[in-house]
This record gives sequence, structure tokens and C-alpha cells, in this order.
Amino acid sequence: MTDCPNGLMRDLLPEYARGVLGADDAARVAEHLDACAMCRAELALLGRVQDGLALGVPRMNVAAIVGALPKPQPVVRVMPRRGVSRHVWQYAAAAGLVLAVGGGIVWRRAPETGAVRVADSSHVAAAAGAESTQSTASVQSEHGITFGGGLSDLSLNDLQALLGQMDSVRTLPSTDPESMTPVIMNEGGKTL
Amino acid sequence: MSESSREGDAQVDVALITRWQRGDQRAATEIVERHAQALARFAATHGVRDGVDDLVQDTFVRAFHSIDNFRSDSSLRTWLFTILKRLVLDRQRAERRSRNQVELDEGHAVQEFNALDGMVADEALLRVQQAVGRLSPLQREVFTLRVTEGMPYSEIAKMVDSTEGACRVHYHNAMRAVKEYLSDEGVPER
Repeated sequence: MTDCPNGLMRDLLPEYARGVLGADDAARVAEHLDACAMCRAELALLGRVQDGLALGVPRMNVAAIVGALPKPQPVVRVMPRRGVSRHVWQYAAAAGLVLAVGGGIVWRRAPETGAVRVADSSHVAAAAGAESTQSTASVQSEHGITFGGGLSDLSLNDLQALLGQMDSVRTLPSTDPESMTPVIMNEGGKTL
Repeated sequence: MSESSREGDAQVDVALITRWQRGDQRAATEIVERHAQALARFAATHGVRDGVDDLVQDTFVRAFHSIDNFRSDSSLRTWLFTILKRLVLDRQRAERRSRNQVELDEGHAVQEFNALDGMVADEALLRVQQAVGRLSPLQREVFTLRVTEGMPYSEIAKMVDSTEGACRVHYHNAMRAVKEYLSDEGVPER
């Protein structure tokens, strides 16, 4: 059996034999086959090969195969939350306040009373001078938060009250640097 | 198959996979119906005679377990063929170990391929099977994928890890060898 010199047509024959060729290509092949005995013989051979290879192949039991397949697990999409609740922002603001103010605040335990002394950093210089004479057991911060004794001395109610006061702070602390102008206080704690 | 109809087929498969992933079990049935018989033919051309149905089922089970790994740069059928081919090789290795046999050479492969002889009633078809069985494993794979599935060279090249040009050469060499064998044997015309 000699081969047709038209390689393009010969290449299309298997698909033509399978009946899966597009309409345009199928028409071209059919036209070529009318005039080419070599390709007709090759097409006949392809049909025999297909039949030969299909012989003895069992029919597949689709239902049995599908029954053995894993079950699909639909993907559950978690919708992103639109925003953070107001409470979270309040707690975040309170925490930010504590951190920011804490960075500029000196916490010191008074030696004779164990009280915690709170003063803004701008007051540190003056406070240092007044340290020896100051025996106040409690000091009120600018925000009106009062500490009496150590934190460990506070009861649960006191801590809750403290958090409540923090919650009432509506604005975030300023991130602007504080004035470097020292505030000088006299021994009574009055600003000069 | 024309390029557009191949793309259409690929799109149908991708759509079915998406439906199955969303929980539609009927999509799995459609996928199996579309490809099961082709997989069985492919298994047979690799010399599998017993347990073809189990092999095809295992192929689908593996495929569906790792369906997320399917990339549509090749067709679903090509991907399934690749999985089945791996299973066939695993099975053949296991059988060789169990029988304590040496590595199969080409001649053995031909014998295995011709194991369907008993089922073949038609003498002419038997000869055709013998002709195909005498091809080298690579030629046989390229030839059968082309003839029985109408698979394009580009897809065959992916399957056999070769180039389209090389696959085209393998196909035509195989065709010539089959013709020569049948011509020598004097296959009766049907």
C-alpha cells in the first residue's frame, strides 16, 4: 500500500474516521477521498484498526464508577465582615490611649505609701524636684483617672470603673510630639 | 476534531467539573459517561485484560480526589489518560514483582497486548491487533491515541512527554509498519 503524498490529508484521516472532524475539514477530506484511492485504502485500514482495538474492551458500568467517587464538598464562602463593631473601636482607642499615655508617663511607686504616682513627661523635671517632699497617696491625671495604691490593690469594681472611664474617652490621643518646654512646679505642685 | 470543537469539548468538561465542585453529583455521572469507554480502550491498548473496569474506576476516583489539581491547559481526557497510564505501570510493576519476573522487553509487551486474542473472533481484526502489538510501546501509544481517540498531536505530545513533530513521525512510522505487516500477512479485504 503506497502512501498519498498529501500529508495534510493523511494527517486528518484518523479524525475523519472517528467522525470528530469539523465540518469544513470533513468536506475537504471527503473531496480528497473521492479522487485518492491511497487515502481511501488508508481510511479503510483505520476503520479496521479502530474495530480491532475496540474488540474485547468491556462496557464500563457508569453507575458503579460514580458510586465509588468521593462526594463533592461545596466550598462555603465566608463573607468578609463589613466593619468592626463600635465596641471594638472603643477598646482599641482605650488600649491606644493607655499605650500612648503610658509611653509619656512615669509610673513610680512611692516608697512610703506604695501609691502609684502618675505625671506627664512634661512634668517629670519638676516632679523630680518635688519628689522628696511629695507624700500624696494619690495623684490625679489630666484625664481625671485616679490611681490609689498599686494596680494590684484595685478591686474588680475599681478596674471596671477605670475601664469605663477609658471607654468614655471619645478621641484618640494626639500623636503630635509633646512640648519640650519644661513645666516648673513649686513644692505644692502649682505650676510656676 | 477541529480546534473549535476541541475547545468546546474542553469547556464542557470544565463546566462539568465546576458543577461537581458546587455539589452537583449528576455532573460526575456526565463526566464518567463522556470518558469511561475511552479509558477502557486505552487500558486495553496497554495490555490490560483483567480488571479493566477496576482500573478505570480507580482512575476516576483518583482524578476526583485531586480534581483541584486539574489544569485546563490540557484536556480532561488527556489528564485522565495520564492517571490511568500511571496506574497501569504501577500494576505491571507489582505483577512483575509478584511473579519475580525480569523487566518486560518489547517482545513481552507484544505478548501481553495480544492477550485479547481469545476474545477476537474475526481473523482480520486479530491480525490488526497483532500488527499494532508489534509496534514499539511509544509508537503504539501514539498510534492508538491518534486512531482510536482522534487525539491531536499536541495532546499526545503532552502525554508521552515528547514534541508534536516527533509524535507525527511516530504515527506515520507506525502506520507504515502496520501496513507492511498486514501486507506481508495478506490480510483479507473485508
